[in-house]
Amino acid sequence: MRHRIVLMAAGFVLSALGLAAQGSYRVPRTADGQPDLQGFWTNLTYTPFERSRELASKPFYTEQEAIDFFNRAIAGSQDQIVHYVNGDFGATPVQTGARPNRRTSLVIDPADGRIPPLTPEAQRRQQALLAADKARGPLAQTWRDDRGTVWCVFHDRAVPAVVAPYGSNYHIVQSKDWIVMTYEWNTERRVIALDGRPHAPASVRTYTGDSRGHWEGDTLVVVTRNFTPKRTFLGQPGTPPAVEASPALTLVERFTRTAGDTLVHTYTVTDAATWTRPWTVELPMHQIKGPMLEYACNENNQDGFAALKNARLEEAGKLAPLEAMRRGDAKAAIAGHEESGAAKVIGADGEKK
Amino acid sequence: MRRATVAALAGAALLVVLLPHAGEGQVKSGQPDLNGFWQALNTAHWDLEAHDAGPGPILQLGAAHAVPPGLGVVMGGPIPYKPEALAMKKKYAANALKEDGEIKCYLPGVPRMMYMPYPVQIVQSTEFILMMSEFATAQRTINMMTNDRPPADTWMGWSNGRWEGETLVIDSRGFLGSTIGALDPEGAIEVRFLDRAGNYHTDGLHVVERIRRTGPDHLSYEATIEDPNVYTRPWTISMPLYRRLEPNMQLGEFKCEEFVSDLVYGKYQKGTGQ
Repeated sequence: MRHRIVLMAAGFVLSALGLAAQGSYRVPRTADGQPDLQGFWTNLTYTPFERSRELASKPFYTEQEAIDFFNRAIAGSQDQIVHYVNGDFGATPVQTGARPNRRTSLVIDPADGRIPPLTPEAQRRQQALLAADKARGPLAQTWRDDRGTVWCVFHDRAVPAVVAPYGSNYHIVQSKDWIVMTYEWNTERRVIALDGRPHAPASVRTYTGDSRGHWEGDTLVVVTRNFTPKRTFLGQPGTPPAVEASPALTLVERFTRTAGDTLVHTYTVTDAATWTRPWTVELPMHQIKGPMLEYACNENNQDGFAALKNARLEEAGKLAPLEAMRRGDAKAAIAGHEESGAAKVIGADGEKK
Repeated sequence: MRRATVAALAGAALLVVLLPHAGEGQVKSGQPDLNGFWQALNTAHWDLEAHDAGPGPILQLGAAHAVPPGLGVVMGGPIPYKPEALAMKKKYAANALKEDGEIKCYLPGVPRMMYMPYPVQIVQSTEFILMMSEFATAQRTINMMTNDRPPADTWMGWSNGRWEGETLVIDSRGFLGSTIGALDPEGAIEVRFLDRAGNYHTDGLHVVERIRRTGPDHLSYEATIEDPNVYTRPWTISMPLYRRLEPNMQLGEFKCEEFVSDLVYGKYQKGTGQ
């Protein structure tokens, strides 16, 4: 299985590496004459969000290094110790369209490829958030624990785009005056006005923000503001710890087709009260085959129910300790619990029979 | 001279006719233009059938959440339920606070999304027509270039569309009928409500909609609803949809999960988290 994936990856490496070298490509147009960005896309990638410190002065791999990095990442993704083996569901990045990238990080500005430091005031905000998380302890209390992500209120990796472990697929549909980007996970939908209207009043605050777009040549430029203070930005896994932003946070994005199957998405986040300088990310989006099915997060939320229900069971001493269960080591969990005399038999749902 | 002018004018007129162009009410590619924000202005959302005014489900909400009266949108009389299904409808109606997916912010399905008291934005391209409700970020992708079978059952179903002259005809199947097996059994919903009055369908649903412009700011909306599990024959609803004309109109963000999570998960929560 692993060999087959590596071979498959090597097959499209050569065409995928030269993101910028597409001089002769002409962006297709819609019937209205606008650049046509429509289709199904993914931004899944193995490229780390922030650059490792050893590579601080090396923004690009050589072609061979990029291929080697990609193949090592594929091999690593086959060795997960979690209760879902994503490969079994066709859900690892390489299975769903990720390609090698010569960049050593998705953050391209600052020059060291890392998110700039928080302002002292934002550090206090972040510390308060971490302290509240710590005070709550490891067991789920309410759906507000993670500001609603597990409970399908808002998937905070959608806007601005932060690559998730899977499900980072987009369907783009456009008319003359609107462009719609539907993100698969939790159906985070962005309906972007292209007709030059002003932003919504500053008092209107939303999770996905208020977006206005316009065309600059072949490039769609989208300015988004009015984010709600209920949400946070960034966060684990893969990006620096979550932080609450100020009401001034502004996101400026650029979407440009550089090849028939590649849509380059760059964005700059500016919030002087939170980060000591703006920062910019470049995410290549690659065309994938549709359709993109309905996510229906709230309607099928097994995780939400299980997290709360099992937390209450564990508090009542009726459930194996969470840490062993989390490691997927049910035998150790049960054995550990039996030694402590707390449980005898644990069913498939973790509940004591 | 005069003849030449007439000929030139006639030629120019012919050119205008022959060149592809967007006429009034058409998109550039020539189809009827359904783009915009549309909304029903009737009481179908409370009850598809003719009904009198009535009290709301919670005493304390008083007149604010009472049921407004309506003559119904079902063509040719009441919904043709099988007798046992009609009995179930009455049971579901009496138990609507538990059984109605709207209460839990579940995706409303088809045709319900089209006549809820929330705007529906249509964004039309050649390959896909998106219909997006403000409610629960519900949306439908109408496939205009393919006619595939549903790859899986979903809450909003699988919709294939085609133009019959000026009319958009949408054929939708592949609907989920309940949450049984997916969630906490006590909170499961058994069927899908079509309105707040307990009218319902199952996973046997098949809907054929016919949508056409009847003026610059009006659509004619018809849906024929078939479900052999519960109805004796297909039946049809019909209503106008009205354009929302506010110049700054846009879909608001209505992420109702955050309004219902305390209700749905409450018995397993500890404290309020606030």
